[in-house]
Amino acid sequence: MIRFEQATKYARTKGIKKPIIEDASLTMNRGKSVGLLGRNGAGKSTLLRLIAGAIKLDRGRIIRRGKISWPLGFQGSFQGSMTGEQNVRFVARIYGVDTEQLIDYVEDFAELGPFFKAPVGTYSSGMKARLAFGLSMGVNFDYYLVDEITAVGDANFKKKCQAVFETKLRDSDLIMVSHSTSTIRTYCDCGVVLEKGKLTYYEDVEDAIRAHDKNMKEG
Amino acid sequence: MSYVFAHFRVVGALLVREMSTRFGSKPGGYIWALLDPAAHILLMTFIFRAIARAPALGTSFALFFATGYIAFQFYQAMTSYLNSAVRANKALLSYPNVAPIDAVIARFVLQVGTTTLVALIVLGTIVATMRVETSLHWPAILEAVAMACVCGLGVAMVNSVLFLRYPLYEQVFNIANRPLFLISGVFFLPDSIPAPYHDLVLLNPLVHIIMGFRQGFYPEYRAIGLDMEYLYGFAFLTLFAGMLVFTFSSKTLRNE
Repeated sequence: MIRFEQATKYARTKGIKKPIIEDASLTMNRGKSVGLLGRNGAGKSTLLRLIAGAIKLDRGRIIRRGKISWPLGFQGSFQGSMTGEQNVRFVARIYGVDTEQLIDYVEDFAELGPFFKAPVGTYSSGMKARLAFGLSMGVNFDYYLVDEITAVGDANFKKKCQAVFETKLRDSDLIMVSHSTSTIRTYCDCGVVLEKGKLTYYEDVEDAIRAHDKNMKEG
Repeated sequence: MSYVFAHFRVVGALLVREMSTRFGSKPGGYIWALLDPAAHILLMTFIFRAIARAPALGTSFALFFATGYIAFQFYQAMTSYLNSAVRANKALLSYPNVAPIDAVIARFVLQVGTTTLVALIVLGTIVATMRVETSLHWPAILEAVAMACVCGLGVAMVNSVLFLRYPLYEQVFNIANRPLFLISGVFFLPDSIPAPYHDLVLLNPLVHIIMGFRQGFYPEYRAIGLDMEYLYGFAFLTLFAGMLVFTFSSKTLRNE
């Protein structure tokens, strides 16, 4: 369960103060995947980071029950001079999961071959993405945060990702940001629309998509 | 309790990461963190020995210079490495369980260990090759080192925040810090400075750190003007200020 209680967050840039969410209260229950909808620049990604706990609210609080992932496919922590294996080991350590088990899993999953033990700086962008995706799948979370799902690798690899992802979703939920309503429809059961600092929860994802489309038409 | 353990785990992971990234892919890796300052001190020591005829204390110029320089390094190497601890690990703060303070603690532990090893190598070499027997007074040495580390940590914590908030301050700080090496009594004794300037020199807490440190190596050194109360006061006040600024600036540190 993730619950927002009178949560308020402002975005501040160069003296401009814009509300991302204002006094938002909302409960997302376990067992349902949520799609986050909103216009460009509404603050969907910030909202995702708030849920993850990477940034803090200005007021109110977010109660989290369950383990929440970092954004799926996050590569920012990869240090170019460290090998793929060392980078994986670092994440295993900070999340307190079995190091060797995670390394085995990611090595097998990412199909990097000997490059797994080479510095990440020598990787192509596709290899990095595969490593990142493997890492996300290797740690078990109750909630996976997804900011615009991006396909990685060739057709075979994509199929594998899809399969693993779907098995994960049997026990875990998604909180997903996407501009593609069809992706949201595929993965999510319910929806949240973020508009002008307000969060509106819809039990049915179709209602959320309709509300979002209506907002977009109004401009 | 598990919360505390989680922090220990993260600090440990960061420590390993810092060790493997600090010197990139250079062969030898972390060995350079030891060799670089050790070689630097030894080289400087030999140059100064050639220039100066007799040290201000004792008979070994090498020991006189190295004691000053290492005490200084416990502060200086600490701040220069810790000032950027948070900035350098900014990307990792996207993991919610990595806190800015973890990055600072990891670098602190690593730097204390590194400078300690450097000190053991350099001072060990010098003391072992000296003709005159030296008796060490450990409490004085450890006290000075501890104060240097506390000062360094406090200053670096304040700087971590202020550097992010006021880029201009970083420039000013670096300029103001450069002559520190010359005025902190690394290669002179503050006791020998004439009256009006003597008090001025003693305002610098690093002077007290170096005096205290040297007392551990020279039992005959009287260290006139050494004020441990002043040093303790300064060190813990900076640390307190650092913690305060750090706590109230979590947003700046997380770069929101």
